[in-house]
Amino acid sequence: MRGTTYIRRYWQLYALLVLPLAYFVIFKYGPMWGVQIAFKDFNFFQGINGSKWIGLDAFREVFHSQDFTKTLRNTLMLNVLDLIVSFPAPLILAIMLFEVKFQWFKRLSQTILYIPHFISWVIIGGIVYQVFGTQSGLINNLLESLGMDAVPFLTNKHYWLGTYLVTGMWQSAGWGTILYLAALTGINRDLFEAAEVDGAGRFKRIWHITLPGLKTTIATLLIINLGNMIAIGFDRPFVIGNKMVMDFSDVLSTYVYRTGLESGQYTLATVVGLFQAVVGLVFVLGANFASKKLTEESIL
Amino acid sequence: MASGSDVPDIVFTYDSGTFNRYAAQGGLTDLTDALNQYGPNLKTFLGEDTLKYGQVDGKQYAISGKRAILGKYSGFIRKDWLDKLGMKEPTTTDELYNVLKAFKEKDPGNTGGKVIPYGMTIAPGQYDPVIWSFIKPLNEEQQYTLTQKLGSNDYPTLLPGFKDALQFLNKLYNEGLVSKDFGLDEDKKQLTQDVQNGLVGYFTDDFDNLYYANGSYDNLKKTVQGAKIDPVDALTNSEGKHAKPEYAPNAMYIMVPKSSQRVAEAIKYLDWMSQTDNMVALQNGVEGENYTMQNGIPVAKADAPQNVLDRLFTSGDTAILANGKFAGDDEKNKQALVAGFPQENQADLRKALDISVTDTFKPVLFDKPIEAEGKYGTALQDKYDEMIVKTATAKPDKFESAYDAALKDYMQSGGQAILDERTKAYQAMKTK
Repeated sequence: MRGTTYIRRYWQLYALLVLPLAYFVIFKYGPMWGVQIAFKDFNFFQGINGSKWIGLDAFREVFHSQDFTKTLRNTLMLNVLDLIVSFPAPLILAIMLFEVKFQWFKRLSQTILYIPHFISWVIIGGIVYQVFGTQSGLINNLLESLGMDAVPFLTNKHYWLGTYLVTGMWQSAGWGTILYLAALTGINRDLFEAAEVDGAGRFKRIWHITLPGLKTTIATLLIINLGNMIAIGFDRPFVIGNKMVMDFSDVLSTYVYRTGLESGQYTLATVVGLFQAVVGLVFVLGANFASKKLTEESIL
Repeated sequence: MASGSDVPDIVFTYDSGTFNRYAAQGGLTDLTDALNQYGPNLKTFLGEDTLKYGQVDGKQYAISGKRAILGKYSGFIRKDWLDKLGMKEPTTTDELYNVLKAFKEKDPGNTGGKVIPYGMTIAPGQYDPVIWSFIKPLNEEQQYTLTQKLGSNDYPTLLPGFKDALQFLNKLYNEGLVSKDFGLDEDKKQLTQDVQNGLVGYFTDDFDNLYYANGSYDNLKKTVQGAKIDPVDALTNSEGKHAKPEYAPNAMYIMVPKSSQRVAEAIKYLDWMSQTDNMVALQNGVEGENYTMQNGIPVAKADAPQNVLDRLFTSGDTAILANGKFAGDDEKNKQALVAGFPQENQADLRKALDISVTDTFKPVLFDKPIEAEGKYGTALQDKYDEMIVKTATAKPDKFESAYDAALKDYMQSGGQAILDERTKAYQAMKTK
């Protein structure tokens, strides 16, 4: 009896859930049917069902290919470095913005910091080329006019790494502050006043009030980031990368693009995708577990 | 999708890998009989040489379209710079090198040190001509076994002379004679800009690229008073010939999916399209409104109103059998192409066109696809580009190790598999 009254009262809320659920079933779970082509010699004309099973042959081929090893290494390397460089940036920015007393200045800075997030990587790629190019780049032209040697920001793989990381930070840091700023508004103002009365300076207040207040948000974002360690966006390495730095810029997503789309080897591309999904899941669960142990915060 | 029922009766691609894969996966109709029955004009138009490209094991799985003009590249030089330095147009690679040196040292264009003696990119139009000019004359076996066909083009990675070419590029790069950032310029954007701004002394490109209305040459003449570019055939091989690659005679692979019920009609349509009158109409529009016939060459009317011009907006996609304008025979095709360009550029264009077909390497073709090429072709094209930039930009004393490392990577990424398969296919062909 209690069940029917419950349903009668809340059915509208459940009805609202139907659409998002349908979205996940159709667009997220449905396509998983196609994952089986990782175990099949996929024939475009016979379709998924008509193709022959080949067991783990495709996995063997992928794991033995040196391009896979290289792109896997690069993916992890770029992501780890990116985490080190780009993860703390929005946190620091958010705290700095939070400390700003002039509201108009704070709003203006926020808007300016958000803008790069809305610029497509293709356009950023063009800008990077104009700024960092060896022959006609802004910075190198400046260096040369000062009588210094040009710096191969884009063509030497080690310099390129720096360019890649800095560009990524520039693009994402401002936008990343949003979650932190939202969490900061939840901290009780009285704490700051009390601390001030007790004679705590700015850094003491940040250390003992602001940062603990952000602990949950930091842990959550870290877990999400770690879950994405093995996945990497396509556009950033593809656009910022070039033939001369392929040793570093060739990553799993560009490898999948090359084998799957350009060479039409759908089976191999699916193998890589499935591999990324499984490893990603392990990373998320692992990070979640660690976070639960260390901070008693977790998202699952 | 391709396995469903609502598939078009005619599909096409330029990519030989896609064609080979479709044929191997059993998705295409064998057109041999239909072509014999319904395509007499089509067969004459294409000829056996072109039709071969659509065959796999003797079966006609695609109607391979035809190229009007097989020439690819020409060299171009700033004649006004040469005149200023009192130098003549270079006719050998050595002479070219001296000219490049002089361009660099004397900066005849007054670019304020920004001069780029040799405009280079990492696109075929720029690196192909210099590389192929170093390839030694080949015997038949070498040509078949050592060539690597990636995508739709033959690559010289394993041909004798390739390493010398890289060494030469390395020398040019280290002496500051080629564009510093050529490894970044995949779409020739930077080169085009540099040419238009009058910074480039010599470069190679598709023979027609400069000459379009409001194209690079027109823009250069606007920015630099008195600028003059001449087509020039400067690069020479060990025999003193201007060796360079040319296109295979085929164009698009036009295929009929296996599920099609309209095979006869598809061939009849292509047969209709292949007849000269129809082809001329599809490519040029209505006589008297879009074009006039002059000495058997359709010449576009410059004053045709927009609604008449709009008829031809999609002509390239309609006349799928042809790449380039067909007017009846080879010489007429060339004249028809030239007639489509601005009057003042026509003489230069004709000269560049004639250079592009001089001393060419003809592509070679096996009677069945090399599977490894379909599989590794795309990845190897990237490796090939990587090899060029890495060896060219290495310090001279690091050239050998850069070359060895890049070649090893190339061979392991599929180059060896292609070599093995081609060697086997060649032996099979010889013992037949």
